[in-house]
Amino acid sequence: MSVAVAVTLAVSLLFAATAPTLGRRLPPAPATRVLVVGSLTVTASEIFVLAVVAFTWVGQLPDIAALGPWSTVALRRADPIPESAAVGAALLLSWWIVRRCRALLAVQRSCRHLPHTDSLVVVDTDRLDVFTTPDRRGRIVVTTGLLRALAPAERRVVLAHETSHRDHRHPWWLLAAELAAAVNPLFTRTARTVAHTVERWADEDAATAVTDRRLAARTLARTALLMHQRSTRAPEGALGVLTADVPTRVQALLAPPPRRQPAVVGLLVTLALTCIFGAAAVQRSGERLFEHASTPTYTVKG
Amino acid sequence: MDSGRRQRGGLEQEVIAVLAADGSAMTPGQVRAALGAELAYTTVMTVLARLCDKGVVTRRRAGRAFAYQAVVDEDEITARQMRRLLDARDDRAAVLTRFVGTLSADDERLLADLLRHTEQAGDRDDVR
Repeated sequence: MSVAVAVTLAVSLLFAATAPTLGRRLPPAPATRVLVVGSLTVTASEIFVLAVVAFTWVGQLPDIAALGPWSTVALRRADPIPESAAVGAALLLSWWIVRRCRALLAVQRSCRHLPHTDSLVVVDTDRLDVFTTPDRRGRIVVTTGLLRALAPAERRVVLAHETSHRDHRHPWWLLAAELAAAVNPLFTRTARTVAHTVERWADEDAATAVTDRRLAARTLARTALLMHQRSTRAPEGALGVLTADVPTRVQALLAPPPRRQPAVVGLLVTLALTCIFGAAAVQRSGERLFEHASTPTYTVKG
Repeated sequence: MDSGRRQRGGLEQEVIAVLAADGSAMTPGQVRAALGAELAYTTVMTVLARLCDKGVVTRRRAGRAFAYQAVVDEDEITARQMRRLLDARDDRAAVLTRFVGTLSADDERLLADLLRHTEQAGDRDDVR
């Protein structure tokens, strides 16, 4: 059992360590998919493995042990998790989920009074801002201030970028990546990479829509500078880590479109699959452990 | 195909953006000029008519043609909710996908350099 546990945890560490770097080498759409699905799969495998291991610990509690025909002494030998760490992690995770759900509901409430068309939401203000909401319809909200500051071709880039966010449900990919990071802090860097690949994905879609990469690059750079110079917004706090880095995005648009890299995708998929197989192996040996513990053992002091 | 549908949706958005940025009533010809793309007059007319059906723009007669104007939602609740979204911070800001995040001083310098570079390189290229 401990070999399977060690292999699963080691491979999951390897995935968490390599995914951000490898993901940045891929074209943004496959990168987002493989990083998000991969980090969720690996995290789920980890939880499963730790749960099986934790069950060997729970099985030692006198009340629980009384229910089942196994020996607490035999189980204790396989017990590696301290109780306080598990409880602490569960509390932190629940707190994160509550906060994100509250934020999603608040956004949903804000959009409730909007008309039921899928059209652009224009807010009449001098502020410069544009974003896509994660609610069911996915609203693109833009200010008149920004629309007036941009040339027609630049507007097309910005709207195509946000439309890509909406059509590909980018807010949800990002939330899934953040969920994996909330469960397992080792995936924080991966979540940050996904925040970047999601923006790159929308950038590439915008460049394709206007069929001009340099126009897309210039629009991105100019809009970022305009918004920065006219911003009254205080620098973001801890969550600011998830804002994608704009100069890298501009440079990527000035370079030729990224090439497909099946080998890198294959490697990441293999790592994630290894974790699933590892978790299955742990489950099987966990069952065997309980069966083994059901046969009485005697320890005689020599 | 899917991309065709999306492009049409994209044109609707651009037309709304043009009308909302201008604020006043515009004829299809003016909208077409403001879109800055080589579009057929009838295409613009079709989009405007569709937006009118959706109730997103209104039209009134201006001489021989119609003039179109973006509908402004005067509802105080909507306005307050939208301000709240714009002001969103922390958790709420984290669930919105923004076009650009915050820039550091280094980012700002680097972007200004990149912009100057692309503008020099693209001097002969018109921004369509």
